[in-house]
Amino acid sequence: MRIAIPKGRLLDPVLRLFAAAQFEVPSERDIRSRKLVFNRRGVEWILVKDSDVPVYVEHGAADAGVAGFDQILEHRCTAYQPVELAFGHCALCIIGGPGAPRLEEQSSPKIATKYPRIARQHLDERGLHAEIVTLAGSVELAAVLSLTSHVIDVVETGETVRVHNLQLQEKICDVTPRLIVGKNAFRTRTKTMRELIARIEEAKHATLQSQLP
Amino acid sequence: MASTPRYPIGVRALLVEEAARRRRIETRFIDALERAGFAEVVLPIIDYVEPYAEIVDRDSTRKSYRFIDREGELVAVRSDFTPMLARALAPAMRDDELPLRLFYRGDVIRCEASRLGVNRELFQIGAEVVGDGSVDADVATLRLASTLVHEFNGRATIVYNDVSIAAALIERSPAVATALANKRANGELPDDLRPVVKKLIGGEATIDDVEPFAPEAAARLRAIGGALDPEEFALHLDDFDEAIGYYTGIRFRVYGKGLLARGGRYDNLYSTFGQPAAAIGFTFTIDDLLE
Repeated sequence: MRIAIPKGRLLDPVLRLFAAAQFEVPSERDIRSRKLVFNRRGVEWILVKDSDVPVYVEHGAADAGVAGFDQILEHRCTAYQPVELAFGHCALCIIGGPGAPRLEEQSSPKIATKYPRIARQHLDERGLHAEIVTLAGSVELAAVLSLTSHVIDVVETGETVRVHNLQLQEKICDVTPRLIVGKNAFRTRTKTMRELIARIEEAKHATLQSQLP
Repeated sequence: MASTPRYPIGVRALLVEEAARRRRIETRFIDALERAGFAEVVLPIIDYVEPYAEIVDRDSTRKSYRFIDREGELVAVRSDFTPMLARALAPAMRDDELPLRLFYRGDVIRCEASRLGVNRELFQIGAEVVGDGSVDADVATLRLASTLVHEFNGRATIVYNDVSIAAALIERSPAVATALANKRANGELPDDLRPVVKKLIGGEATIDDVEPFAPEAAARLRAIGGALDPEEFALHLDDFDEAIGYYTGIRFRVYGKGLLARGGRYDNLYSTFGQPAAAIGFTFTIDDLLE
């Protein structure tokens, strides 16, 4: 079984979760070694950029993985999402630049985002027109520097928004990390995949229980 | 000026050896189908869009190449043989000729921009039994798909389900669709459906559990399951496709080393073209057998 793990802010809690589910996960030292593939007791762990997890799972290069709902939507990933994880919750929002009106009142709006597909779909659903500027990171900067009037990005604590005098204008959807399982992997190795799902589900609940006062 | 060295995304040429290999597989495949009593039909590479408007969902529309022909009509390049066969056959079909066992081969073009590395031009061979709505036809079609994989020394796993079960549940509550698609029960499920959906998702559901919601499908699946080797043919009651398209009954996928073929039953398709007839079939993407 091959499992794709997202590098970045989700890495530590995801590894802790799998460890709690009795998987032998790569150690911190392993991860610092810059290797990207680790074999541990029959599981091949691959470390990939968070936005790439749905791509690996969708195409069967990994059987399962952990991906944020933002990335699942953006990649139109059709993998199953059997477990919603209890950490890393945030929201995908429309953020206005300093002094910008709401999107529908902005004349010739421009939106900077890492999520061009989600942005396009949301605009279409709302019947709005805007130019979408695709950026790879530090998206808020586009609004700070008036490259665009608005930004669509994930907001965790809202700190970045406050610090830069931006305004949270609208929530598009909640974003949670999810265990994702490829459909073909599930269809052909159902027992293994069901066991994975059950173990992660159980570890999630055990962790939540232990956090109760 | 030198011409551009690359092809459009998703198409490629097969040079001598690859072409020979594809032809060898094609020949063996066709031989097996002819031995099983199937006769060939040839379908056009383009057709008008309008006759299919009623049956083609939005997703398939997006995946097809369309253009305006010289007469100003909207036409599409072939992206799915099955509706084309129904349109070609329905007006000419006579009841006393049924059932018909037919096969076709050729390229389909699908623009699947979201799927990196997936070919847009696919060489497919498909077979259909038209005018036989019996369980025996279901069983024979599933068996034929498996025989074709064995022809290439492959071990097949065939995963099947009946789309009318999910359809019946979704009709009672649309929340079932999200739950089945994600394999996660959510808070929106109504109380009367929650137990069966949770059982489906958890893999514990049996035919008995879905019977109250889809009695016909349950009876059919029991008969099919009784006739097939469960080692090779696996009933996945929780298997679910968000777009069921024209399928009305059993739907299946054939796995060898990867996904090789898909198929299912579509008993309402022919009536769209003016002549009701039950039908079941499958399509192999031949290049997937090469790898």
